[in-house]
Amino acid sequence: MGHGHHKIEITQEQFTVPAKAKRFAIGLTVIGLILAGIGIATMDNGSSHGHSHEATTVVKHDHAATENHGEAAEAGKHVAETEHHGNVENPNFGPRAEFYTQTKPWATRIWSNILIVGYLLFMVSLAALFFVAVQYIANAGWSAAIKRVPEAISTFFPVGFAIAFIAILVAKNDLYHWVHYEHLHLTKGQPGFDAILDGKSWFLNSKMFLIFPVVLVAIWWLLGRKLRSLSVAEDSAQPGDVSFFKKSIRFSAGFSVIYGFTIAVVAWLWMMSIDAHWFSTIFGVYNFATAWVTALTIICLFVLYLKSQGYLKIVTDEHIHDLGKFMFAFSIFWTYIWLSQYLLIWYAHIPEEMSYYQIRFEEYKFNFLLNVVLNFLCPFLILMTRNSKRNPVVLTIVGCILIFGHYHDVWLMVVPGVFGPGQQIGLLEIGTLLTFGGVFIFWVLNALTKRGLIAVNHPYIEESAHHDVGV
Amino acid sequence: MGIIDSNLSLRNRNKLLLGIWEDEDKLVEATSELVHAGVKIQDVYTPYPVHGLDRVMGIRRSWLSIVAFLCGATGFSLAFWMIYYMYVQDWPLDVGNKPVRFSPSWVPVLFEATVLCTAFGMGFFFFLRNRMIWGIKPELLDERQTDDRMVIAVETDESVDEKKVLKIMKDHGAVELRESNGGVQTTI
Repeated sequence: MGHGHHKIEITQEQFTVPAKAKRFAIGLTVIGLILAGIGIATMDNGSSHGHSHEATTVVKHDHAATENHGEAAEAGKHVAETEHHGNVENPNFGPRAEFYTQTKPWATRIWSNILIVGYLLFMVSLAALFFVAVQYIANAGWSAAIKRVPEAISTFFPVGFAIAFIAILVAKNDLYHWVHYEHLHLTKGQPGFDAILDGKSWFLNSKMFLIFPVVLVAIWWLLGRKLRSLSVAEDSAQPGDVSFFKKSIRFSAGFSVIYGFTIAVVAWLWMMSIDAHWFSTIFGVYNFATAWVTALTIICLFVLYLKSQGYLKIVTDEHIHDLGKFMFAFSIFWTYIWLSQYLLIWYAHIPEEMSYYQIRFEEYKFNFLLNVVLNFLCPFLILMTRNSKRNPVVLTIVGCILIFGHYHDVWLMVVPGVFGPGQQIGLLEIGTLLTFGGVFIFWVLNALTKRGLIAVNHPYIEESAHHDVGV
Repeated sequence: MGIIDSNLSLRNRNKLLLGIWEDEDKLVEATSELVHAGVKIQDVYTPYPVHGLDRVMGIRRSWLSIVAFLCGATGFSLAFWMIYYMYVQDWPLDVGNKPVRFSPSWVPVLFEATVLCTAFGMGFFFFLRNRMIWGIKPELLDERQTDDRMVIAVETDESVDEKKVLKIMKDHGAVELRESNGGVQTTI
């Protein structure tokens, strides 16, 4: 290294959670609960907005009509059975009115919120583990100094998973209309038979839905625990002992392959199946992009926080700059994937593919466009210059925009498919986000105290301390 | 100063004092000493980027990123104008009844044109500024400066204490000292 002539002292640091940080995390949760409470109290029969109430009534009326006559279902069946050559009006392809009818809309709204936040935090924490793995596989030196931060974040993923899983266990009948259909046990020829859902049922069924993700989480958790324990064991190893590092590379490679293939499955099962008639081959990548850029943002924010408290002494503006570049670059990556999904469906103009975007573009136009503003235009324009990527205040502001933006992105994946038109982000949504955000922050800060903040015997720690991106 | 950096040219120079290094750490050390002693360094030649050298030499930030932005903006504008002229003004086509004006199908073209112009523009201006473009003869101070040796060049005039410069170079690991008079080099 160029700086060989001046030695940087690398010492272990022990983090203790400041009382102020604890108050902040608990405060977020309390404020979140209060906001959510107000949100629930002011909900008018399942919604706090007159507009959406109106929509619900209309939908219920449609539902009754469909039940009485069954015409729409009949027509749908006919077209679906003849090789899906339908048009936009075909109720089997578009979101059907009866899909949006919940027994208790207000309860479904609460559970859908918990699903959204739980899913986001689960995906983000798991992406933090992927970050650790990627650094090993790429033989990256610069990140050795901050590596304990993503490791601490990754301990949250079983919790995030559990939050989402509880919401699914309780409310899957109302959140996923194919679950509702599954209970009808219809066979070919019966009225209401749905050829598309029937064709998917070998994969999209309650057993697969509940068991598969649990098995995957168990595998990820074992690999993550192994990676973390190797990292800690290295701290007390002989200096110069690279055996832990080499083992970590092997486990990281294994984890990355498994993660890369299986994260898409969770995205299909839990997110894509909300619009069960619809499918998108890039959906797994899209969900990964959302989780990955949010994970990079959260890693950056935690590093900035620790730095502001006087920890992570060997982390300099150079590391912060690189994290800022990651946020900038993967915001563009997210947009690329987001547009790829949209553009092909828009171009092909095939009814069964369009249903997903039809409702989001027609009924949720503001949110649809806000998504691009929050997740692309803001980071792209604000983080473009070098100075802003090295400025903690700018990074924090853009980080908060990105976290809310990607929450909003997941919200837009879920809500139109569950409720149909007319929903908005209100106090309940913000409250749920803050509540679990507070829990997440509290958990991660606590996880950071469990081990030294610096991987002192990491083979690249010296290189990381001297990291320099130039003038 | 034009786009092609004349500071980097070796032609029409006063006498140059040259120190040759084999070790990059010692090179950075020597550069730092020379800068601290108030010696104005003409340039340091290395076969690969040496970390920290730019900071030690006090080189200010490159304009390359601003050039990149301008090239990108140019590419975006050109592509926008091209699509607008061809597809909206001159010859609108009905493709599957898609809107002609400002449709999502413009995005990939705008994106690609922006990236293309940025990449080519950055490459072109980088080489132009560094005198690595057609018509400019390469000027090497040492044949091995593109391989495994590094050169510090100090331009001299009446104000420079040559002995002091040579002593600093020698003390900080120069393996060879030379002077260059109008392209003719003699070992000191």
